[in-house]
Amino acid sequence: MTEPVLVVIFLRGGADGLHLICPSADTDLIAARAPDLRVARKGDKAGFVLQDQAADVDFRFHPQAKGLSELFGAGELAVVHAAGLTDGTRSHFDAEDKMERASAVSTTGGWLGRWLANQEPDGPLPALAVGDSAPESLRGGGGVPVAGALDDLILPAGHELSHMIGQSMMDGFAAHPLIGPQISKLVGLSGLLSDRLTDPDTGERPNYRPDVKYPKGPLAQSLQTIAHALKLDLGLRIATADYGGWDTHINQAGDFAKRTRHLSQALMAFWRDLGDRREHVTVVVMSEFGRRLRSNTAGGTDHGYGNAMMIVGGNVKGGQMLGAWPGLQNEALAQGADLAITTDYRQVLAEVLRTHMKTPDLSPIFPDFADDPLGLFA
Amino acid sequence: MDISRRDLHKGLLSLLLLGAARAEAAQVSPGLVILNRLTFGATPQNRTDLERQGLSDWLDAELAKPATDPALDRLLSQAKLQIAYGPGSNDTGAAWDGLDEMRHLNTLNADTASLMPLLDFEQPVSFAERIRPADEVKAASLIRAVNADAQLRELMTAFWHEHFSVNAYKDGPTAVFFPAYDRMLRGHAFGNFRMMLGDVATAPAMLSYLNNDASRASPANENFARELLELHTLGVKHYFNDIYDDWRQVPGATDGKATGYIDQDVYEVARAFTGWSIGDGRGNGKGIHAPLTGAFHYVERWHDPYQKRVLSVEFPPNRAPLADGEQVLDMLAAHPATAHHVAGKLLLRLGIESPSADYHAAVAARFHALVDDPDQIAHVLRTIVLHDEFQQTPPSKLRRPFEYLAGIYRASGAHVHAPTLDFDWHLGRAGWTQHAVKPPTGHPDHTADWANTRTLQGLIGLALYAHEGWMGAQMPGSGALREVTSLQSLAQRTENRFGVPEGTVSQALATLGVETLPDDRDGRVWVASVVHAAAALHPQFVLR
Repeated sequence: MTEPVLVVIFLRGGADGLHLICPSADTDLIAARAPDLRVARKGDKAGFVLQDQAADVDFRFHPQAKGLSELFGAGELAVVHAAGLTDGTRSHFDAEDKMERASAVSTTGGWLGRWLANQEPDGPLPALAVGDSAPESLRGGGGVPVAGALDDLILPAGHELSHMIGQSMMDGFAAHPLIGPQISKLVGLSGLLSDRLTDPDTGERPNYRPDVKYPKGPLAQSLQTIAHALKLDLGLRIATADYGGWDTHINQAGDFAKRTRHLSQALMAFWRDLGDRREHVTVVVMSEFGRRLRSNTAGGTDHGYGNAMMIVGGNVKGGQMLGAWPGLQNEALAQGADLAITTDYRQVLAEVLRTHMKTPDLSPIFPDFADDPLGLFA
Repeated sequence: MDISRRDLHKGLLSLLLLGAARAEAAQVSPGLVILNRLTFGATPQNRTDLERQGLSDWLDAELAKPATDPALDRLLSQAKLQIAYGPGSNDTGAAWDGLDEMRHLNTLNADTASLMPLLDFEQPVSFAERIRPADEVKAASLIRAVNADAQLRELMTAFWHEHFSVNAYKDGPTAVFFPAYDRMLRGHAFGNFRMMLGDVATAPAMLSYLNNDASRASPANENFARELLELHTLGVKHYFNDIYDDWRQVPGATDGKATGYIDQDVYEVARAFTGWSIGDGRGNGKGIHAPLTGAFHYVERWHDPYQKRVLSVEFPPNRAPLADGEQVLDMLAAHPATAHHVAGKLLLRLGIESPSADYHAAVAARFHALVDDPDQIAHVLRTIVLHDEFQQTPPSKLRRPFEYLAGIYRASGAHVHAPTLDFDWHLGRAGWTQHAVKPPTGHPDHTADWANTRTLQGLIGLALYAHEGWMGAQMPGSGALREVTSLQSLAQRTENRFGVPEGTVSQALATLGVETLPDDRDGRVWVASVVHAAAALHPQFVLR
């Protein structure tokens, strides 16, 4: 496998980047937030310092983000803070939609869908959406398969009707513009995967066991599926995984810690699991917006604006924080309330596609965005 | 690639033509399509009713059916659902014993106050007991969808559950408050939107789900306010925050008639609902506790009393309790954007994925004109269903997993009287989480959102396993199948009940090499499940 691979992890609900990668000594932050909604600098809950920073600010990873901190220390994770969607929406669904379409002018689907349509990668499984449904970013990509685990792409195994049903549904739905192509895809992948995953000696399909131990949880499950697909060399180039539940309007401290821990551990396990394949893989971690600087009276934070993005990769110039840090003084905030945005999130995506995914012409993918490289890749 | 509406219709037309070319009896009966849109599935009974009464009278009869149905209540009172858990203890060391039993759906009609001990976290109670009310509503949802006589009301109740979506499994409180929420939505299903909106805004399930129960001045918690505007009323199309950053710039604002909202409205609406909380015994500060009613409870001390400006309308300071929130709800229910938003969602749910602008506008106008009418929603439904475009729109919409499963059982005539929650596991495989959608949007409703490998694979699984007795449905084999005397009559009966072309089932049987009807019960059940799966996966059954 030498073709580059992009994995996009979307933290749905608006993850609090100020809590995840926290300017922990900032006096405006300290004034606006209760101690449990920021990262401590001392004591047993002190966060992990980011050594190389964009500004002279004491940024720290959340204390539950040990794995992220280790990846950063190993030079495999880069952070772009104060990034985001610059058009000011604070609706989850509007922001996710706009961010995943990633263009105000293009009407043809999402940014990953446009990449797929433009690049036409071959192989039986060039793209995979892990989860219950495909994200908007993949729209226009020719109907990307959706599955929780690869088993989900195999028609009910052993059922005497499976084969016949597959064939007759392909026939029956052939002319339905939405369902027809998906049935064909399902039947095709079902045959292929069933062959690949069935032990020729026993005729049984053993349960998949990853090479490393993953934590228990939804993101780990998704990443495990992506690693499985990569190991089978099915030509996977684009994979997406959603991790929801970041909409912490109330009692953020405990919930956020739990989720951050899972994010960190799952990503670390995935990265280890990839082994030598790491040099071909880049992971982007993003969310629709950050959260309000000032906490509310219910121990939570409301919808904000600028946020942190993380990029993990074998050839990422990690261990550094890129982009400008605007600060948190009232006049530096967006609408006096939220972290401002100094980097259009598309800058990160564009750089990943151009440098890592080797896509010289980005105009079909980001027709209304001219990028100005941050230097994410070596 | 994105499919335009025209392409879609062109595709569907060719689909129909193709079907017609394949089998002689491929003509989809319009009555069948209508029933598959307005109920959880056509049955011989409602097909006869519709034919006899005609659409308008049939619809009136459906709209006249009350929220309570003694026959259905009797069925529900007889149903049992398993509950099983091991022994355990809470933080204080107080212990409970494990159990494994079949239990009636006792919480469905229980007064919420009587369920409040389930939320006493000092008591030694297993989590399975605390979320039991949500499990019971979930089990009941399938019993109701399959068996309810008031099918349109049941379908609309499901619609409102998605419009005002609450994840019943978010935590103990949402689970315990969920039976009352379900009853409330069913009661309002054909009624007045403003009244329903008021009951939603004060429903403990919603207050708990979107955290408004903890919202107080200041800063208020904005979660409920934002979703109230974006999802429940005006809709995201009328969120103008990326265009305007001053309320005066919003079109209509200077006349006191803002056509949409920006973040400043979200902040103000959040302030209007501060203090709208729950009577769950919580401490509200200074040693004062909320009453233990399990009902809405207003905490005056938490309310932000000062002047507000919502959608360009000024609210004076220091008004009577609840006045701020009530006025917000009045304004939202009567706003033209709400009419447009809700009309669009209703059309979408009833099978019209891309209505013409005129059709959509006609429905919205009806909604808006009848904003004070106690039967507003019933009238709107009439406008939708009796419009020419309703019947002219080809059956193109993919049945979503829950309605697909219910439709299979209704078509086969299976007895769904005490389902196990295995059905929920199968729905999950298809990407559906009954009463447990985490984001407040509810499930998406466009075919494009469901026409993917995961859901299609899941639907195939439902068709194959619905009749293997895994989900607590009793095979029609025990009753109706006894009348079946030959393979041919079984095939015909199934084709007819599922509304699929003649030959669909017999062809499947021939492919499998089944030539005669087995004599033993197991053999018959196997053949019946094969037969039902073959019919259920035909496009004429999958699409509505």
